[in-house]
Amino acid sequence: MAPKPCALCTVNPAAIVRPKDRSALCKPCFFNVFETEIHHTITSTNLFARGERIAIGASGGKDSTVLASVLKTLNERYDYGVELILLSIDEGIKGYRDDSLETVKRNAKEYGMELTILGYKELYGWTMDQVVEQVGKKGNCTYCGVFRRQALDRGAAKLGVKHVVTGHNADDVAETVLMNLLRGDLPRLSRTTSIVTSTPSSVASSSPTDPASHTNIKRSKPLKYAYEKEIVLYALHKNLTYFSTECIYSPEAFRGSARALIKNLERVRPSAILDVVRSGEDMAKLCPGSDEGCGGACGSSTSAIPMAEEEEGGCGSSNGRNAGSEMANMDRQLAQNEAAVENELEVEITFHGRDGTQQKIKKQPKKIKGQAAASVPRKAVTKQVMGKCKKCGYLSSQEVCKACTLLEGLNKNRPKNHIEVGYDAEPENHVRDLAGQVKGLEVGSG
Amino acid sequence: MAWRCTLHLRNHLNALITHFHLQPRFTFHNKMPGKHVDQALEQPCRRCKDVSAVLVVRSEPLCRECFFKYVHTKAIKRLESFRVRNANPNHQRTLLLPLSFGVSSVSLLHILDRQLKTQMSKTGRTGFAIHVVHIQIPGDESIITVDELLSKAKEAYPDFKYTSLALHDVFRLTSDATLNDLCPKTNHSETASPPEKLAALINSLTSATARADVLSTLSTRLTVEHAKTSGCEGILWGDTTTKLAEKTLSETAKGRGFSLPWQISDGESPHGVTFNYPMRDVLKKELVSYVDLVGSPVSDLICEPSAIRQASMSSKNTTIDDLMSKYFEEVETNFPSIVSNVVRTTGKLEAVSAPASAPRCDLCSMPVSDGRFGIHGWGGDQQESAERIAIASGPQLCYGCSRSIPQPSK
Repeated sequence: MAPKPCALCTVNPAAIVRPKDRSALCKPCFFNVFETEIHHTITSTNLFARGERIAIGASGGKDSTVLASVLKTLNERYDYGVELILLSIDEGIKGYRDDSLETVKRNAKEYGMELTILGYKELYGWTMDQVVEQVGKKGNCTYCGVFRRQALDRGAAKLGVKHVVTGHNADDVAETVLMNLLRGDLPRLSRTTSIVTSTPSSVASSSPTDPASHTNIKRSKPLKYAYEKEIVLYALHKNLTYFSTECIYSPEAFRGSARALIKNLERVRPSAILDVVRSGEDMAKLCPGSDEGCGGACGSSTSAIPMAEEEEGGCGSSNGRNAGSEMANMDRQLAQNEAAVENELEVEITFHGRDGTQQKIKKQPKKIKGQAAASVPRKAVTKQVMGKCKKCGYLSSQEVCKACTLLEGLNKNRPKNHIEVGYDAEPENHVRDLAGQVKGLEVGSG
Repeated sequence: MAWRCTLHLRNHLNALITHFHLQPRFTFHNKMPGKHVDQALEQPCRRCKDVSAVLVVRSEPLCRECFFKYVHTKAIKRLESFRVRNANPNHQRTLLLPLSFGVSSVSLLHILDRQLKTQMSKTGRTGFAIHVVHIQIPGDESIITVDELLSKAKEAYPDFKYTSLALHDVFRLTSDATLNDLCPKTNHSETASPPEKLAALINSLTSATARADVLSTLSTRLTVEHAKTSGCEGILWGDTTTKLAEKTLSETAKGRGFSLPWQISDGESPHGVTFNYPMRDVLKKELVSYVDLVGSPVSDLICEPSAIRQASMSSKNTTIDDLMSKYFEEVETNFPSIVSNVVRTTGKLEAVSAPASAPRCDLCSMPVSDGRFGIHGWGGDQQESAERIAIASGPQLCYGCSRSIPQPSK
């Protein structure tokens, strides 16, 4: 049987069936289409500015490896005039990161990019292995997730970089849309569909000009519309070396459920992944109180959306519940809420806290026989008010950000007479120390 | 009359409050919807305490009568604006009930019949009248039995007006010619009859998902047109919580996130009639139990396509709708509250206000803001906007409908 010719160039024999639309393409045409689409994403959303220094969040996995390779190619081909560097975070999980960091190092050499590896140990004073030793395997994902979300921003600040790109792909975004529908989290749904998320200085009243502030870092995902399967194909046929491994600690139920659904949808209709992303962008515009949620569709990078304690895909986004029980826990919680609303037992009291942030207290009055229930106004969607963590200055909806809260708990229980080389003498102040160090750094000192 | 109703509710509430703290520690998952729960039989009904329970509903053991009351209350509560006291004695309000002979629409028919009878006996008149419409969709093997079912329904509920339409009537009834333009052009397409047009349209679609999607979209449009021409101010859809959750996710997967608020919220629809979902607080598995317990005449009227094709997921005939209904069948069994949470959450999306003049999709008839027709011209599309202009001369389809009926690029 003679091979089918490529659907685009009609010259070469087709070698790849494109996962996105099942068209048969030859290798060069596939590379070209894949790269051009990412170029289109970058230019149509004005993602990069000439002269910008951009850190690629590199894990050594397929997504960030392909991202680094494609961005290097495009930067040269279309002359974006941006400087690309690699930034890796080492969670400190033996046997998980060690090998993938080797991959990142190799990539750095291959692409001629500067590489910085920052450890949780340096950033927070704890490796994940130490955290697990202390809190056990249950719930350790909370720590990892919270630390990871801040780690790239903190790392970027340390390097004086204002823009971090991550390898989140279309499957990740689609998964997040479905997951947040299942969890009933509209605010998060609307934020995560945007191509640019950031911790903008506009929310912070203090020192927006501070060059090393880690509350002013733009995050974007240039692979937002790229299919995971195409990323794998690209890496495979370009002979890119990447390291694929699952975290040795735990999975999570909601995302797992959404992921399985996305995979099935893709099988039934390949465009479904992209269609979910489109739906997510459109729904972001319909979310109450989210006039900014244009999902990146309005083609302007000024529409940055606060993204601090957000989860965007991959691991590290569970709320600390261990795998199977996550959905069951939520179901139980919801059932109780429903019962309370139905029986009108729940009274919500809203008052203004000292700092002007709204605080809500839920009260469940004692059930007294024959007691007339007070009527309850319908609960509106709570709108998060973003402020700054008073400890580390990171963007947070709470007075103290999640990372600092978790660190406080960890440090309190740290064995006092544990002897270790390089042990931080004042773990309590570690985060503040870091903030101090960060402030002292010069732009581009990395 | 109104205060009596309130008083009744108040007593009901007190009964609930009294027993709130008696909830059992265990949570029982009813793995087989429709089957009664053995454990329930050993306990008295949580609400009336007189009779032993026949099933457990959201961790509450209930007897037959209290379960009926539970289902009825959930549905009727959704129809408060159609109470007798809101009805103008000189003008009978009319609502359309599309009857598919599935569990939900038949249960709704039964519940509304009871409700109208109650209103009649208490006040001598009803808050509204009901027209029933059944739409025959080609490919239903059950077509032969439809006439039979319809006459059974007329016999059991003689107070309603019944109509039966064929799906191809949509070409006859819709006022604009745009639907005709969607049919593939053939030599004699000018003279084609409506059934021929429908067959040509469906045969031109390349996937099971697209066919199912276009059929259900056309069915909705026909229902709306019939409501308008027969003077109904609104439509009473039978969708349960479970069905609405399925719809939320499957419309999201089909790229119709923009029209979700119009598709699953109660109230004004962009079609000029109101959409009402009285069963939105009842789970599908609860209705299956309901039908089981009510028995005749409800159970005699049900003709559901044999439990969703168990075909493997690799099958070419699996549709996105099938996938979602299978998915929520599982979620409903183990995590029923997550199902209702999906619907509640989607209900919080705010529909954009669409002026009557807003451009609309030629197939689903939903307003498309800024005329963002077709699958091109957004971030996720890599084709330049040149193609968008070329398309503007052909039919104008929203993103989701463009996926089902791809337009040849010119």
